[in-house]
Amino acid sequence: MRDKILYVLGALAVLVLARNLYVIAGLPQEAAQGAIFKIIFFHVPAAWTAIVAAITALTMSVQFLRTKDFKYDAAAVAVTEVGLAFLAANLVTGSIWARVIWGIWWTWDVRLTSALVCWLLYAGYLMLRHAIEEPTQRATFAAVFSILAFLDVPIVYFSIRWFRTQHPAPVFLSSNGSFPADWTRVLLSNWLGLLLLAIVMTAIRLRQEESQREIDSLRRAAHAM
Amino acid sequence: MHLLAQTLLVAQASPEDIVQELARLQRNFHFLSYGFAAAWIILTLYVLMLVGRERKLKRQITNLKAMLEERQKK
Repeated sequence: MRDKILYVLGALAVLVLARNLYVIAGLPQEAAQGAIFKIIFFHVPAAWTAIVAAITALTMSVQFLRTKDFKYDAAAVAVTEVGLAFLAANLVTGSIWARVIWGIWWTWDVRLTSALVCWLLYAGYLMLRHAIEEPTQRATFAAVFSILAFLDVPIVYFSIRWFRTQHPAPVFLSSNGSFPADWTRVLLSNWLGLLLLAIVMTAIRLRQEESQREIDSLRRAAHAM
Repeated sequence: MHLLAQTLLVAQASPEDIVQELARLQRNFHFLSYGFAAAWIILTLYVLMLVGRERKLKRQITNLKAMLEERQKK
């Protein structure tokens, strides 16, 4: 049953994203930037999905430290890994946009640097998990590391409000910019597609953590014999 | 009105300007397609990674279960 739900959600996500690609292709070009502006329809929803993943990882890590229940640890690692993939997509699409608009692939601007640091921190979280053998110690250290890594997320989000950056000013939830209503609908619809995809990926990754625990218990049983 | 303004602009532009503008538009489209392709490739690679890991875990579970059954028989 769980597998069927995942297949349906996955197919729905792919359908929504494929339909949106068609809709995005039909939208008019932005006056100043031209066609490359349309990268925003992937760049921004990927960032929002990564933020949702980071908030979920934080919640799961806090819950693990409170309850010592390993299901929260499994959820934290699953959602962190998925969030990392979406943040990578966000960084790469941003870099391609920058090459056309700024003429450079990368600049050490506060928004870009803090986002890269965020990616490195969560990659470090996954590496830390590989480095510790003992499950309780691994989960506890990883949860503390995840909470500390989250401190960078508000810096990434608010950097374009707090500092003068090369990165464009916010056009959503802000009085500075404006985004046409029909474009906002496409953007939100693309976010929905990416969120569905992230949910499916997280559920699959979570199942793999359960399988890993089953393997660990089978190994213990084999050693005991 | 917008079409008229554009027509007048094109009429004033030199052939070099038009060629340059067309090249800029083409480059813009190329980079947009690179952007979308890169994002899809990253997500597809991650999905393939998940599929590979799933297979490996299933194989490990099957092997361990078979090994335990064999030991129990002995």
